[in-house]
Amino acid sequence: MKPSVIEMIYSQHDEIIRQWKNEVTELNQFDSTLPTNWFHETNEEFVNLIMGTLELEENEAKEQFRSFAERLMNAGWPLSYFTKGMQLFRRVLVQMLTSDESFESEKVFETLNEVEKWVDGVINQLVDEYTGSWENTLHLQKLALKELSAPLIPVFEKISVMPLVGTIDTERAKLIMENLLEGIIEHRSQVVLIDITGVPVVDTMVAHHIIQASEAVRLVGAECILVGIRPEIAQTIINLGIDLRKFPTKSTLRKGIETGLELTQRKIISTS
Amino acid sequence: MRIPILKLKNYLLISVQVDLDDQTALQFQEDLLNKIHQEGSFGVVIDLTSVEMIDSFIAKVLGDVVEMSNLMGAKVVLTGIQPGVAITLIDMGIVLDEVPTALDLEQGLDKLQQELEA
Amino acid sequence: MSVQSNVEVHSEWGIVSARQAGRNLAKELGFGGVDQARFTTAISELARNIYLYAEQGEIIIETVENSRITGVQRGLKITARDRGPGIKSIREVMEDGYTTSGGLGAGLPGVKRLMDEFDIDSVTGEGTEITAIKWLR
Repeated sequence: MKPSVIEMIYSQHDEIIRQWKNEVTELNQFDSTLPTNWFHETNEEFVNLIMGTLELEENEAKEQFRSFAERLMNAGWPLSYFTKGMQLFRRVLVQMLTSDESFESEKVFETLNEVEKWVDGVINQLVDEYTGSWENTLHLQKLALKELSAPLIPVFEKISVMPLVGTIDTERAKLIMENLLEGIIEHRSQVVLIDITGVPVVDTMVAHHIIQASEAVRLVGAECILVGIRPEIAQTIINLGIDLRKFPTKSTLRKGIETGLELTQRKIISTS
Repeated sequence: MRIPILKLKNYLLISVQVDLDDQTALQFQEDLLNKIHQEGSFGVVIDLTSVEMIDSFIAKVLGDVVEMSNLMGAKVVLTGIQPGVAITLIDMGIVLDEVPTALDLEQGLDKLQQELEA
Repeated sequence: MSVQSNVEVHSEWGIVSARQAGRNLAKELGFGGVDQARFTTAISELARNIYLYAEQGEIIIETVENSRITGVQRGLKITARDRGPGIKSIREVMEDGYTTSGGLGAGLPGVKRLMDEFDIDSVTGEGTEITAIKWLR
């Protein structure tokens, strides 16, 4: 940045900070997601940091912003706090430049240009920090979801249960199918009960995945019973015209297990 | 290459040990039908445990051989289809609806017996 | 570093060697059992198409990489190339159940479902090139 611009900003240093703090307080009233308790301290730190970038080496300034952003990100401050804060900062500067008549207009434009570049650079860096962290989080969550996807639990000899919990997308459906079939081979199950009590919505897509899974189960030589069909799920299945008649369904896991025992020529008897 | 067909009482047992190529599959189809005719078998178990891949052509040959055997009065059960093979068939939209299946040779024989008694 | 395998397809044996080459590469790269089956089956289908419709052509299998924020993603790419009659209507062959050979009609849409990425380039009278990628999970 040109020394003349830096000099200009420095000469107004205190005034800029005062105005910025004044205006930024209003942000808090619009955005209730900001943590109120240390709002003022953070503002203080933020504005000092912005000013600080004028003196520091580019890399050092970036590093300081990075650690500041990371800290606030972890504390749950929204990205909009930074972007709005920086936009406010720009507005304060512009106002100051244009209201002071001692500046020549040519110099004003030049200065504005420099300020734009500077502020945009800081905003871009902050946005990059945030999106990078979001993508990272998303990736970790996907991994976590993968780990909790659908175990096959052997409950009796030849009978296993797979409880499905949560929404089923194509990626998960593939994983479920693989776990299901490999589990069948491992436990030598003849009957598998797929329990959809924990699946919030059964639409055409989900039903399609379940039908495919049960067809694959049949190919490896076992049988599939769909259990845990709640009234509202039965309604949507019929209303959507999904044909599930090809494989047996039961309302509860208990009834499913009874059917499974029957299919393998066994039953539960009372010994009293 | 020819796939060996074993006779056990009224049944025929086949364990396919390699990924089938087209010629071997067609040869097998012919051999099996001849054997059913020769022995007057009631039931056939084809074990596919060692088969790592079934494409649409091989699937069609297998589906056909099941139907042809049925025409000749022999029930066929396919056993030991691997998870990867099953999923691949489903992905391709090949369902093999009419073909009875079982986990392994032993359960396949049980299934044949049940079906023949019924 | 990319590993590559080229197989000429002009007989049924070409189909067998293409899928064997594919299986070996898939194993080497660390594909799971199910994805190995998906990948080899896709090769088998594409090689068979070459043999049935173009009489001869080639299958090229190579490793590919894709940089992502979460690291480098590796995968295998199949290129099936022939100088056959070409495909008149790509839209038609991509419809489920379409067949000109009396097969099961799983054909190209089946291959597309087995793979993660799929692309056809065909000029009537000049030939067809199909590329498909399966990513390592």
